[in-house]
Amino acid sequence: MRSRLPRTACLLRLTALCILLSHTAAYFGLTGREPLVFLPGPFSNEPPTGKAHLKQCEQMPLTRRQKRLCRREPGLAETLRESVRLSLLECRYQFRNERWNCSLEGRASLLKRAFKETAFLLAVSSAALTHALAKACSSGRMERCTCDDSPGIQHREAWQWGVCGDNLKYSTKFLKKFLGQKMVNRDMRAQVDAHNINVGVRAVRSGLKTTCKCHGVSGSCALRTCWKQLSPFHDTGRLLKYRYDTAVRVLSVTNVATGETELTGPRRHGQSLRTTDLVYLEESPSFCRPSRYSPGTGGRSCAKDTSCQSLCCGRGYNTAMHLTSLSCHCQVRWCCHVECQTCVREEEVYTCKSA
Amino acid sequence: MAGAIIENMSTKKLVIVGVILLLFQAFAFMVGGLIAPSPTTAVHYLATKCVDTVKHRQESKWFMPWGPDQCAKIRSFDEAMAKKIEANNIVFAVHIPLPHKEMSAWFQFMLVILQFDIAFKMYNQIEDGALVTVDVGLAYRDDTVSEWTEMAHSFEQRKLSCNFTTTKTFENEGRYYECDLLPFMEVGSVAHKYYLLNIRLPVNERKKVNVGIGEIKDIRLVSIHQNGGFTKVWFAMKTFLTPSILIIMIWYWRRITLMSRPPVLLEKVILALGISMTFINIPVEWFSVGFNWTWMLLFGDIRQGIFYSMLLSFWIIFCGEHLMDQTERNRFSVYWKQVGPIVFGSFCLFIFDMCERGVQLTNPFYSIWASDVGTELAMAFIIVAGICACLYFLFLCFMVFQVFRNISGKRTSLPAMSKARRLHYEGLIFRFKFLMLVTLFCAAMTVIFFIVSQVNEGHWHWGEHTVQVNSAFFTGIYGMWNLYVFGIMFLYAPSHKRYGDDNSSGQCITGDAGANSGEDIQLTTTITHVEGPTELYRMTGKGAQE
Repeated sequence: MRSRLPRTACLLRLTALCILLSHTAAYFGLTGREPLVFLPGPFSNEPPTGKAHLKQCEQMPLTRRQKRLCRREPGLAETLRESVRLSLLECRYQFRNERWNCSLEGRASLLKRAFKETAFLLAVSSAALTHALAKACSSGRMERCTCDDSPGIQHREAWQWGVCGDNLKYSTKFLKKFLGQKMVNRDMRAQVDAHNINVGVRAVRSGLKTTCKCHGVSGSCALRTCWKQLSPFHDTGRLLKYRYDTAVRVLSVTNVATGETELTGPRRHGQSLRTTDLVYLEESPSFCRPSRYSPGTGGRSCAKDTSCQSLCCGRGYNTAMHLTSLSCHCQVRWCCHVECQTCVREEEVYTCKSA
Repeated sequence: MAGAIIENMSTKKLVIVGVILLLFQAFAFMVGGLIAPSPTTAVHYLATKCVDTVKHRQESKWFMPWGPDQCAKIRSFDEAMAKKIEANNIVFAVHIPLPHKEMSAWFQFMLVILQFDIAFKMYNQIEDGALVTVDVGLAYRDDTVSEWTEMAHSFEQRKLSCNFTTTKTFENEGRYYECDLLPFMEVGSVAHKYYLLNIRLPVNERKKVNVGIGEIKDIRLVSIHQNGGFTKVWFAMKTFLTPSILIIMIWYWRRITLMSRPPVLLEKVILALGISMTFINIPVEWFSVGFNWTWMLLFGDIRQGIFYSMLLSFWIIFCGEHLMDQTERNRFSVYWKQVGPIVFGSFCLFIFDMCERGVQLTNPFYSIWASDVGTELAMAFIIVAGICACLYFLFLCFMVFQVFRNISGKRTSLPAMSKARRLHYEGLIFRFKFLMLVTLFCAAMTVIFFIVSQVNEGHWHWGEHTVQVNSAFFTGIYGMWNLYVFGIMFLYAPSHKRYGDDNSSGQCITGDAGANSGEDIQLTTTITHVEGPTELYRMTGKGAQE
């Protein structure tokens, strides 16, 4: 379907739309076309039967290949849901003081375009999935993790001999398989998306911390073992937010030698893009007023001296006095017992004017 | 100790021996770098939060994090809060290894490290010097269906040392503290296929148990075990080395007993070095594959300690016997001042090791670093051992300096001496310089490889091959010290070439009576029954200057 389309950017919008129709369903996390799959009742324990995951796999908007992967791997459905939760929380946290606050309204229209925000959504989703997969592996929820690629008895021998890789290597590989990323000659939008997804994976990798333990004779460092540790997802989110702030707008250039289209940033001509930069094709809208991309900033609360000016887009803000009751002087006992007093505090609340 | 093989051998033969030893050395490095996998593997585990639903819990209840009879789980503690679950009913369950894998006796040992994920909360911060008390049980089974058998159960305390890198404001709530690794468990043999850890964090406000430990979100464990492949390569190497050293040792001692004089101290020390090397070589670890011998780890430490202290003593005595200062030594008691620190230092490390790994034989969760007193004690032992090591090296350096001073002193007077005495001293100087050079080379190699393996990622990609630097370090260095001991026993064994002309050299000595009496004493003590250089030796022209 895509191959019949014109090559250049003049019909970009149409291209984007077509791509969306052809493969957004292949996406995941915050970039799914369907409304986000929320956890079916937060406090439900899944029954420990072997068939529960099959139903969960069916409920998710996945492609046929992804469904097959999901059915094969009992822990995957839960991990996918966990990754959605993780990416959503992080996106909201990172954009709490921005005009676009990662609201779910308008997400579908946003995904049709190639804004900076779209780039962030893609990157944070892939980062969250990588993170969640690695965690699921170490908690034993996923059955096929590192070393299990080799068939049958071979993986047992590989494990005993000691040549298994780490969980993160596995989860990156799995992600590639899950998204079906193949290096075919794709159009520009697909390249941009693939690039941004990669940025997310790289953000997780670059946040790995190497920790070592000495355990030689008398605890000496003659024998030392090191391993890589995932950093908290907050740190990955912060890194991606920084990448969002420094995102690069790209153009497509046809490579004369190979005849393939490549992405280049306008600032460094002739140089290929850095693999750590988020890229976008179109300038973002202002997100100030309600549009199909966002509900606008009207009614958002802001901080008087810092964020109100930019957040309210110069429309000004309302000031109101609120009596808020806070829990204070809390006595917390691990894990789950909190005794608090209620304090009432008068607070000034600033909200952006609507129009 | 005069007339060793090394002096009487032609340069050509010496080079051949050197090349053969170097080839074996390269082979030892290659075995580790190319065949063996990395020495150890670290596996991450994220504890599953299980709920103990039974009100009056029986002791035998074990919680499985996954699999057919998995426990009732909660995803987060918000859920526990809503369900009003008590802290004492939350069990952190970790199954070692991960699904579809099994542990094996080839893994030799397993140590587990504990890490807490503690979120920052304004109203629930970690207090200074907070102690976490964990109620932990370890169980094992050998197939996937049978019941779990308890292996150990203990209440352990660990000190939390966490810091929060950003400012402590409401804004930063939910971020994690950065906490130090906590030693958790160490098992000296991996005899079972499946292990299960159940950890509870009991809270008792009156007794101040687990109060002020912050908001623990997750428990992560890292288990470290030796790789099966590495163990196999290691065993193979030991099995090959044991007979090699044993044979050369018997050969060496036979040569000494063949001589008419009783063995001198240095010869005995070399034999002792060979014995300690054989002791470390003997592959008793093969038994650990079949039997559940948890003390093997401790035993390995002791064997290594004996070898190291023997090697250090050997260096001191070797230097002392080459001092050439006309003092009668040849007795072990002369060296008490130098050997004392070695013995005392190794004894300190032995006590420390017994306190840590010895106690772990009965309680695998014990760690000497967990308590304040233990930490101080352990530090004291290590510091004393360090001081002993420094003292030893001062003595050694001083002795080496003395030898060199004497050598340069002798050098000037060499031409004036009679032939026999000159050759005797030239032999001494040559032997000393040779060993000095080889020892320095071996020590430098050890240090260099140690640094490389510490700095490096652990493996190098070299074309299509992956070179495991850490494994190469272990097999290479181990092979090197074996070859060192082998070489010493071979090259410093008494030469048979002198047996032929006992008389001529005896004449040499008697004809040399004009020298001062002090030197004579020294000369006779070492070479009364031995004799000076042979005709052959003179012909090859091999001397100290070479």
